[in-house]
Amino acid sequence: MQRLARYAAPAALVLCLLPSAVFARIKLITLPVRERVEIQLDNPDATLVEEERVVPLVKGENQVDFSWANTNIDPGTIVFRVIGPGEGKAVDAKVLSVSYPPGEAALVWTVAATDSGSARVRISYLLGNLNKSFAYRATASNDETTLDLSQYMRLQNLANEEYGSTELWAGFGKEFLKPIGINETKEMLMNRFAQVPIRKTYTCNPQEFDYLDRGQNKLRVPMHYVIKNDKASKLGAASLPAGKVRIFIQGAGANAESATAFLGEDWGKFTPIDDEMRLYLGVAQDIVVQRTIERRDQTRVAGNLYNREIIIKYEVENFKPQPVTLDVAESISFVRNEIFGDNGREIQWELGPQTTFQGGPDAEKSSIDKVLFHAPLPAKSADGKAIKTILKLHLILKNEW
Amino acid sequence: MIMKYLTLICALAIAATTLLAKNIDLSTVPNRSTVQLTIYNSDDLTLVRETRTVTFKKGVNPLQFSWANTLIDPTSVELKFLTAPDKLDVLDTTFPHDKPQMLYWNVQSDIDGEATIQITYFTSGITWSADYLCIADQDEAKMGLEGFVRVSNNSGEDYENAQVRLVVGKINLVEKIAQLAQVPMNQVKDLRDEDRQQLKNKAMLRMVERAAGMGGAMAAPATAAEKEIVKEGLSEYFLYTIEGTETIRHGWSKRMRSFEGQTVPLRVQYRYRPAEHGDHLVRMYLLANDKESKLGTTPLPDGIVRVFRQSERAGLSYLTQQQIKYIPIGDKIELNLGPDPNVIFELVKLRTSRSDIWMQVNGMNVFRRVDDGAAQIEVNSTVAGWDDHGIYTQRIRNYTAKPIDVEVRRSFDGHIVFRSSLKPTLFDYRTVQFQTQIAPAAKANLLFELVQHQGHNAKQNNITLEETQIGQ
Repeated sequence: MQRLARYAAPAALVLCLLPSAVFARIKLITLPVRERVEIQLDNPDATLVEEERVVPLVKGENQVDFSWANTNIDPGTIVFRVIGPGEGKAVDAKVLSVSYPPGEAALVWTVAATDSGSARVRISYLLGNLNKSFAYRATASNDETTLDLSQYMRLQNLANEEYGSTELWAGFGKEFLKPIGINETKEMLMNRFAQVPIRKTYTCNPQEFDYLDRGQNKLRVPMHYVIKNDKASKLGAASLPAGKVRIFIQGAGANAESATAFLGEDWGKFTPIDDEMRLYLGVAQDIVVQRTIERRDQTRVAGNLYNREIIIKYEVENFKPQPVTLDVAESISFVRNEIFGDNGREIQWELGPQTTFQGGPDAEKSSIDKVLFHAPLPAKSADGKAIKTILKLHLILKNEW
Repeated sequence: MIMKYLTLICALAIAATTLLAKNIDLSTVPNRSTVQLTIYNSDDLTLVRETRTVTFKKGVNPLQFSWANTLIDPTSVELKFLTAPDKLDVLDTTFPHDKPQMLYWNVQSDIDGEATIQITYFTSGITWSADYLCIADQDEAKMGLEGFVRVSNNSGEDYENAQVRLVVGKINLVEKIAQLAQVPMNQVKDLRDEDRQQLKNKAMLRMVERAAGMGGAMAAPATAAEKEIVKEGLSEYFLYTIEGTETIRHGWSKRMRSFEGQTVPLRVQYRYRPAEHGDHLVRMYLLANDKESKLGTTPLPDGIVRVFRQSERAGLSYLTQQQIKYIPIGDKIELNLGPDPNVIFELVKLRTSRSDIWMQVNGMNVFRRVDDGAAQIEVNSTVAGWDDHGIYTQRIRNYTAKPIDVEVRRSFDGHIVFRSSLKPTLFDYRTVQFQTQIAPAAKANLLFELVQHQGHNAKQNNITLEETQIGQ
């Protein structure tokens, strides 16, 4: 059965021992088995399979058949390389030509050998339907200051070919030696990063996250865990590929492990070194932000040319028992378009003196079209009431018409 | 299954008569002695030239040539006598109405004995294509570059032991057809299809005749040696002649190595050219089809290039595949490997401002400059011209282990002043180009200011470069 299965394997290498006997009706064939298989997963869009076989050759011309029935091999990508002698004495071997029979997923290499002996060959090809993806599992500490991050590679074999003990390499991290059967999905732990510092952020940004209640001008305040892919965060060795992140949180006290709870999941985007991966965990209902446009003025500079002023007022209440920092972000073009309409022109703007955010905008997270401020919010008072914090953003838009 | 549709039959004429028996017949089938295929992939056209040895008797000898289930152009079939041409002559050619894909020649012979005849014709269904395999070294300083040609036979006929010649280049026959028809070139399209086809065949044949002496002999090579593909220039074309002979059966295709350059030096460059490569910084392998690169013996015909790199772990890494256009000898070869996840490329706008605002008094041809409120300007006026200023940084982060060369091309429409200390040059009137090198693990902030004259201030549609230091 084992033998039959091997013969029936979709990708097969067959050696015709009769020199130039490719068209002969009566053939004697040998079936060199795979000695080693590597699957290279470093290309984001393609999977390269490399298999090594020891091929017996006779002096002169040899016909080597390779067939791949019912698999999705791109025949143009098949590369045959002689990488050394097989067992015994070395023979020089070279592919003279390749013939492609009609209507078959197969080819025939004509290989010349200087002597009779065996050659170790490596056959490489791109194989479809053998796909990889990445996934993460993160467990946050109970105080939400660090998390343990596990990175997994998931290989799904819908290629209709089974590979025995196979070396798998994602292009970074460690190599695996695993078998992978037909229609099998295999998940492998690539890396484990312990105690990665996280920042827990609460952010309001009407352009990005919209309103929770438009009628009451209440903004939606999502909560994120932010991981920085750098050395200080015990990461930074390679980009983090995109993948689903399942997030758990440890329980409090002695039985932290057993009390671990599922917090949620999000798609982590591709995160280069030094960039941040931001994971959405849900809307923070305990932080209420009411956004109103307090002032809308324009001053004529000349003719139809105006300087315009806007003051946005944020009334913020933190109903949590601990103080938090709220990130307040605004898109300048969103504000201009919301209040004055979109004139399609670039905006020349500056912060006005009535801005009350302390410390000014975060230089790294702000840009020409975005301001982001960090606003510390006190914990709710002992009587359970939240302390209202009033914040103002004063924008001056110059030379508008 | 071996197909054999193309036959030449000598009817054994008992008497010197051209009358063929209707139902009971006797014939001999002279085999092909040699066959040569000249394949023009640009036109799905192949010239077949075959020789056969035929024994003639004095008098009229009927020959039947048939090509059932093949793609031969019947108007192109020609018979020539290579031996005793002065003693053998084609009296007439008959295309029988009841037997398609067949013709009869009546040959007048003044000899009793063997003669070698040559039959030429055009067939479609045989094509060839080129492809290339590149395997770069681990350190990406050089690569092995191999070229292949693949011949596919879907013509309906098996060609055994054929000498194969491949024509590289696109053949434009209009001019030659015009010469033969003695009409101006613009009237070639008005010729009857049939006439045009015949003239096309004739033109093609004439061109091939000039190359008749080219290409190696038809002798088979020594066993187990790789066949050389001889490349020769032929007018505006290139002719590849595969050494020895090949057997390519109907339905099969065969791929042979056309050249091998073991140590072709290459250079890696990162390029941002959105018009060519989309909105990405892409990694390029740059090499040249010249002698210094151990290439340059032949132009590289259109074909797919597949690019691999030797990985740190003895295996290969697949990088990309792309179609290349014909690369003449001496020209460069540019392979786009796509974006590199280890190099981050971002354009960040840092500041925006406006200056030189001009107002036009409504209904009048009067313009006044807004000068920070120093001059009083009529309420009844409209902005007519201004300059938009944008300060940008081209941020590039190199997380690879090597320094990288980066070239950036950006196009801007309108009347633009490009200010920077990046030593930019103009690629064209609307495209700025600058280069830089970034050390491993380094980050570059390439600052530039773009001033765009708008409205009344715009006098040109081009870019002026100004060398100046831009502050963040």
